Amino acid sequence: MLESYAIVLILGCIYGFFIGLVPVAGATVGLIAIYGFIGYFTDPYMLVVFTTAIVVTSSIGDSFAAVVMNIPGAGSAAATMVDGFPMTRRGESARALSAAISTSWVNGVFWGIAVFFFLPYYTKIVLYFGSIEMFTFLVFAMTCVVFISSKYFVRGALALVGGITVGLIGMNPDDGVYRMMNFIPTIVDGELEWTKWLYLADGVNMIPVMAGVLAFPELLGALRTQVETVKINADNIKAQLIQGIKDSWKYKIDGARGGLIGAFVGLVPGIGGGIADWFAYSQTVAASSNSKDEIPVGKGNVRGVIGCEGANNAQKATSYVPTILFGIPGASFEVIIMGLFMYVGLELGTIDVLQDEKFFDVLLSSYLWSLFIILPVAYGFIRYAVYITNIPFKYYFWPILASLVYSSTQQNMFEEYIVLGVCMIAGLIMKHLKFSRISFLIGFILSARIEASWIQFNTFGYGWQDIVFSPLPCLFAVLSIAALIWGLFYNKARIDFV
Amino acid sequence: MKKMLIGAIASMTMFATTAFADYTFVVPQKPGGGTAVWTAIVAGELEKFLDGEKIKIQHIPGGRSLLGFNKWHQGLQDNEKTVMVSNGGNALKYLLDPAAEYNYGEYTSIGMMNLTIVMGRKIGASENNIRIAADPARLPEVMAMMMLVCGPDGVADHYNKCYNDNVTWVKGMQQGAGRLAYIRGELNHTRENPAAYKKHVAKDEGSEVWMTHGLLAADGSHSDDPNHPGKQFEMLYEARWGSAPSGAFYDGYKLSKSFRDGMQKALWIKKDSPDAAKLIAALTEMSKNPESIKAIAKKVGNYDWAIGADGDNNRDNILSFTTESALKAMLQFQTDSLGYESIYKENIVND
Repeated sequence: MLESYAIVLILGCIYGFFIGLVPVAGATVGLIAIYGFIGYFTDPYMLVVFTTAIVVTSSIGDSFAAVVMNIPGAGSAAATMVDGFPMTRRGESARALSAAISTSWVNGVFWGIAVFFFLPYYTKIVLYFGSIEMFTFLVFAMTCVVFISSKYFVRGALALVGGITVGLIGMNPDDGVYRMMNFIPTIVDGELEWTKWLYLADGVNMIPVMAGVLAFPELLGALRTQVETVKINADNIKAQLIQGIKDSWKYKIDGARGGLIGAFVGLVPGIGGGIADWFAYSQTVAASSNSKDEIPVGKGNVRGVIGCEGANNAQKATSYVPTILFGIPGASFEVIIMGLFMYVGLELGTIDVLQDEKFFDVLLSSYLWSLFIILPVAYGFIRYAVYITNIPFKYYFWPILASLVYSSTQQNMFEEYIVLGVCMIAGLIMKHLKFSRISFLIGFILSARIEASWIQFNTFGYGWQDIVFSPLPCLFAVLSIAALIWGLFYNKARIDFV
Repeated sequence: MKKMLIGAIASMTMFATTAFADYTFVVPQKPGGGTAVWTAIVAGELEKFLDGEKIKIQHIPGGRSLLGFNKWHQGLQDNEKTVMVSNGGNALKYLLDPAAEYNYGEYTSIGMMNLTIVMGRKIGASENNIRIAADPARLPEVMAMMMLVCGPDGVADHYNKCYNDNVTWVKGMQQGAGRLAYIRGELNHTRENPAAYKKHVAKDEGSEVWMTHGLLAADGSHSDDPNHPGKQFEMLYEARWGSAPSGAFYDGYKLSKSFRDGMQKALWIKKDSPDAAKLIAALTEMSKNPESIKAIAKKVGNYDWAIGADGDNNRDNILSFTTESALKAMLQFQTDSLGYESIYKENIVND
């Protein structure tokens, strides 16, 4: 059994690193693509090993596209390219990559141990989360999604409402009545009527929504992007690698600050790696404003790379906390993780998983082993890894698209193709009009929890006084107001991530 | 051209998978659901007794298990090697949901697993303040609770008032969330199948078994669950109220629990299918094989099988409970008390 886990771990590392190297692919797309092969995971813990390896190694891999091609690996490495690509132009790509890998790796180890080693103990927190705590926590999460993760507040809020609405399609848990399902045109007594589409009674399937709304527009965008490819300087690679490691040590405060920011952002549901990276980057810019560096941050200074890469793996690690404890995804890729685990009977946020010691053991060990496997691979194959990144995206486009379609249409039902097609069109429109697709997806994923917590809030007869005079609800209410004010007036790290 | 090639490869792969399978088991859920997990395990064990013939599982999710059964009923069953896997939810929908087009009386039973549900509560929890996670499929539990708490009267209005006075029906809690809420103490009553009860509730020293529905016997009666002796609803009722439960409301309760639990997991094939005998023989062998039963029990609990003619007999017994008064009492409670929209289906009534 141990041998099988080891093989799956290595395969996960290879696949994850590869998918990380492919521009715009990254963990989310890589995870969606394996839905089509979920049937092969007869042991649920093997899937835990495989997905954890993908998450860890794709985070390391996605720095390559940012540094070498000036396009984000998977959105979460967008800030890396600001300083990483100018370094490549100067012939210092290996140094930039080395600094990125070392900082990301160290923070990954530190925050990974902090999260996964102690995660079984954090499960006690769940016992303090009743209906009212969950309700206020969700309000806090939604406030963050709208007011922190995007600079277009109104469109972000509309996207969130849109996502919640789509998520509520199906059976109303309050009265058992099917709702918002009348999509079938039928002629009744000579008149057009819209009748129920029974397929939607279980709700809209998550995978076509993720594939269509999130992944497909990114793939299409990457296909159209004219990239400037700069060949890696083959001279002094070894010296540059060592220099990159030294840089990481020299600017360890920037890396640690980035890690801290990434860790915090990961704990807040629904805020992805993009905001963590940009926020960490902005703090590095602020911290370096008085420095006497010859090259300022923003023009190819290695501190810019280190500052944001610190947040990369730290955010990935801590985003597992809300996902596992409450079943509320800490990042977009966690939505896919939740769905995949559900298929093999591991329902995150439930007592079954929280009491499963093997689950936590497998998670911790696969996370740490993945990090230790990927470090020498990433250092040793920098030159060759860049070749993979430099392959024109048109060669990746069709295989990735095919895997997304295959994953979204597992039952080969025509209904699935229709839903996927609608989601693809909706994703393109939302991206074009700058409606936050992340807000939409978070609304979609959390819709059932939001509705349920609202129903329970009323069923148990809670009121505003219960929020004000209970410690956790009061804390979340204060945090929500703080996030609102900070997002509206003080957030300088707003990003145009739609 | 490239797109066509990819499409052709994908289609060929799917057709090839189907072509190599001898039997197809239609599951009305996506992978990961309770019935889907059960089917994967049972099909894996059953294959061992099919002389090398293979079983393919086809998931047709949608409509909360309705769509798959409807599609099988409407045409998939005409392929005589296609078996339908139904669950307790399908059975309740047959009684209450107009969108359910299938009819249990029209098929041959390969086999079915019979189970009971265990109702637990926090020790000391008041019967006049029952807080339990809601779900339309929990109708029999609440009906039993209301009869036990409010005693004999027979009319649904009496139990409707009893419900309004004594129950907080907490909607929107999925099974996992409900378990956590029970452990936290937000809920003080719970219900689980025996395996889940043992795993999640039994080790809590602050909990106790309140009652069980009992197990459906071959003659249509319900017998005490040997795992929780003396806790069958009918026994507790008689001990408390001095007479056996009776009347339309009780008949409605018996109807709902028999449909849901008596056909909790069932395999159906087209009537007079030439493959029925082979599948029944294989299932019989499987049910006698300790290793297979152990593998199934490990994942889903150890329940009795009713195979072939026994399954048909069970089904016929259960269908005979569908009287007008029982169905109406059940429907009225589901609609007026629990608040779920349901429709009286005259065409399924027996008398």
